[in-house]
Amino acid sequence: MSLSEKNREGKRSARERMQQERAAEQVKAARRKKLLVVGTVLVVIAAGVGIGIAVQSSRSAPSTPTAAPAGAIGDKKLIIPDGPANAPSTLTVYEDPRCPACGGFEHQFSATIDQLQDQGKLYGNYHIVSFIDRHDSGHGSKNGANALACAQDAGYFRAYHDVLYKNQPDETVDTWKDKSQLIALAKQVPGLDTPAFESCVNGQHFKSWVSAVEQDFDKTGYTSTPTVLLNGKPIYPKNGNEEISPDNLVKWVDQANQGKPLGTTGSASASPAPTSTAAAALPPH
Amino acid sequence: MVEAVAVGSVRRVADGPAAEWLSTAARLGLAVVWAWAGLAKISDPAVAAQAVRAYRILPEGLVKPVGYGLPFLELALAVLLVVGLGVRVVAVISIVLLLTFIAGISSAWARGISIDCGCFGGGGAVAKSQTQYGQEIARDCGFLLLALWLVYRPRSKASVDAWLAL
Repeated sequence: MSLSEKNREGKRSARERMQQERAAEQVKAARRKKLLVVGTVLVVIAAGVGIGIAVQSSRSAPSTPTAAPAGAIGDKKLIIPDGPANAPSTLTVYEDPRCPACGGFEHQFSATIDQLQDQGKLYGNYHIVSFIDRHDSGHGSKNGANALACAQDAGYFRAYHDVLYKNQPDETVDTWKDKSQLIALAKQVPGLDTPAFESCVNGQHFKSWVSAVEQDFDKTGYTSTPTVLLNGKPIYPKNGNEEISPDNLVKWVDQANQGKPLGTTGSASASPAPTSTAAAALPPH
Repeated sequence: MVEAVAVGSVRRVADGPAAEWLSTAARLGLAVVWAWAGLAKISDPAVAAQAVRAYRILPEGLVKPVGYGLPFLELALAVLLVVGLGVRVVAVISIVLLLTFIAGISSAWARGISIDCGCFGGGGAVAKSQTQYGQEIARDCGFLLLALWLVYRPRSKASVDAWLAL
């Protein structure tokens, strides 16, 4: 091998080495670029989700209301009581102002329930939920629930509740998105339609309460309204194998009340004015 | 012979420049799906949380973070797909997310609970006659195909990835 040949070979191997090094560097640079892209993707996603959770948390209504109607009971004051708090049985009712099945339930049972309450046999616990507005879109459930809270605040819950269900619009017609309709119906309850009531309805004074009641309902796992519980046990549409009917309801309440003293009766329970004793009572569950 | 031609043309589509345009279309298609799904869940946080809760899978403590965060995860994927950054990673994350959704819907179906999947807003309990588990799963499988294509051929026209010469 001559010197020039050796030289040439040395040059070639040096060139090859350089090419190899350059290729290795390119591979390294490409890998770095890829890692940078993957990192950017993960950062974008993490930032988006983090900001999203923070924004939605601040936008969501609190589960404890800022204001509750007078006399509402429960640890968050989400339940409207009707009838004597010391009655031996409790009827828990979840209903939506726009729900047609609730209208049907009220049509069939409100007289019986009012009677049982007035006899001191039953303590009504009303959860006024508003999930139909989500399903059918609209505002009637929320406006109606707020107006019912306003009526409770004024001491006319039962009467106004009965008037609303008697005049309930079809589920798909969102009549009560117009608050003046709710105020017009209040005129059927003597004494309810005051400037304070109207401003309570128009200003959605109990908006956060309405939202908190609905959130509470979301967490119960009950999926429809009316959900009706007698002493914590579901009785609508059936109690065990027995269909609910006004007669059966009376029978079930009497069975549950056997041997127990009746609750306080009197004119006060017919139109429950907010009292401190009602406010101190605890919910059934 | 006919088969050979068919295989040949499929290969040409899958490898040639047409494939890059096809990937662009898949990218934008999947982006529209994620953007639509995300935006529909943002307006009412309580509804989004309830849609998650209705599956009765997650503990209460995780219901709100997932309900609040999921739409933004979907939006982030949409944005990344539109600009075409890290398409393969984004497609893999999309697949994981879609498989999670399919598993959740199947689980609800198997347990006999009646819910709307809440895939594009809404969600929560529905009447038994109104469940649409089959359609919901089929739809997600369609989206899955778009994402699978992007894992297979992430290179696409009009993307940041192409601009970075990845």
